Amino acid sequence: MASTRSRLSTDTWVIVLSLTLALIVRIGLIKTVPW
Amino acid sequence: MATSAERPDLRTEYPSLPPQEPPTLRGLLPGIALLAVVGYAGKFVEHFLNTYAKTHHITFPNIEYVLWAILFGVVIANSVGVPRIFRAGVATYEFWLKAGIILLGARFILGDILKLGGISLILVFVALALSITFMTWLGHAFNLNPKLTTLLAVGSSVCGVSAIIATQGAIDADEEDSSTAIAAILALGAISLFAFPLIGHVLHMSDHAYGLWTGLAVDNTAEATAAGALYSDAAGKFAVLAKTCRNALIGFVVLAYAIQWARKGLANDTTTAQLENKAAFLWKKFPKFVLGFLFISLLATLGASTNPAIAVLGFNKTQLLALGNLSRWAFLLTFAGVGLRPNLKDLFKQGARPFIVGALGEIVIAVITLVLVLGTDHFYHL
Repeated sequence: MASTRSRLSTDTWVIVLSLTLALIVRIGLIKTVPW
Repeated sequence: MATSAERPDLRTEYPSLPPQEPPTLRGLLPGIALLAVVGYAGKFVEHFLNTYAKTHHITFPNIEYVLWAILFGVVIANSVGVPRIFRAGVATYEFWLKAGIILLGARFILGDILKLGGISLILVFVALALSITFMTWLGHAFNLNPKLTTLLAVGSSVCGVSAIIATQGAIDADEEDSSTAIAAILALGAISLFAFPLIGHVLHMSDHAYGLWTGLAVDNTAEATAAGALYSDAAGKFAVLAKTCRNALIGFVVLAYAIQWARKGLANDTTTAQLENKAAFLWKKFPKFVLGFLFISLLATLGASTNPAIAVLGFNKTQLLALGNLSRWAFLLTFAGVGLRPNLKDLFKQGARPFIVGALGEIVIAVITLVLVLGTDHFYHL
């Protein structure tokens, strides 16, 4: 697991995290985000 | 001569570089929590001051949370310092910057990106050519070594620290030169955070024009985003778009320098081998997170379609609002990190001449880009 993580670039991780968040919002698991 | 162990390695502040030992998630959490606390304190102070001024009928200028978050960070970093336990997490601020930019795609439809991005790209090309030429001349005039001059030229004209690191490898510059160039760019970025919003207000610039100017002139993406957000939320949005266009060109500039140094026989073997396949070289240097930004923007564009069958594929208005706010939270962590970064005393230890060259270059680049943006605004009404 650790070796897999270190092989991925920051950009890959940031894209995965952002798109996961977008997916969570898209399917309605998160409906509103206050600011 | 100082060894790399004795000299502070500023590059370790950037998670895009492989650290010696990749920190674990648990090791990152304290620093990320500190970013959240400092950023939220900035937001709290902005809200508190506005409410206080309103309740007591005091006229008080709205100071964006961005400034408070950065100031709190600077005070902590330069007084008590950032304890070791927080450092790995604090260094993730560029990660949050990229996440914020990707999610910001929800606040742009592709048409806007094409229009403003197109204008930005044209201005970036013009500004890039002028600033690289000027910085190179300035470096020669101040008798800086050619590699340091190249790094300063790239850092101040393309995209700050990332460009310096990318070019360092390509032209085989040594650590001393890249640390100096990075220090100069970071210190000048900190100054521009305060100078740009002031100039924008004095000139009564529109959000579009100011954002475009900031994105074109401020070197580091975090500072460009912060300088934009300090003016207004909308200006921050346009600053990110213009800066992203500038960042996207990083590969071409690095490639050009790599070819130039290879022709002189000064590039290392790895770079010379990489130049065999220029498309792969460009792809390697291309900031991939831009693709995430475009993808989210595509889904925002689909959601805005009047055709229900297409609109269902994208985000609706509530979802766009949620994603826009997630982007703002990611930027909040970034701005806290900008203040908490290595302390300014260390940055100024690197000698005066690179700073003078950098500062003179920055002023000229800021004026050139300001004239370009004001001219474009006059003729095309941004």
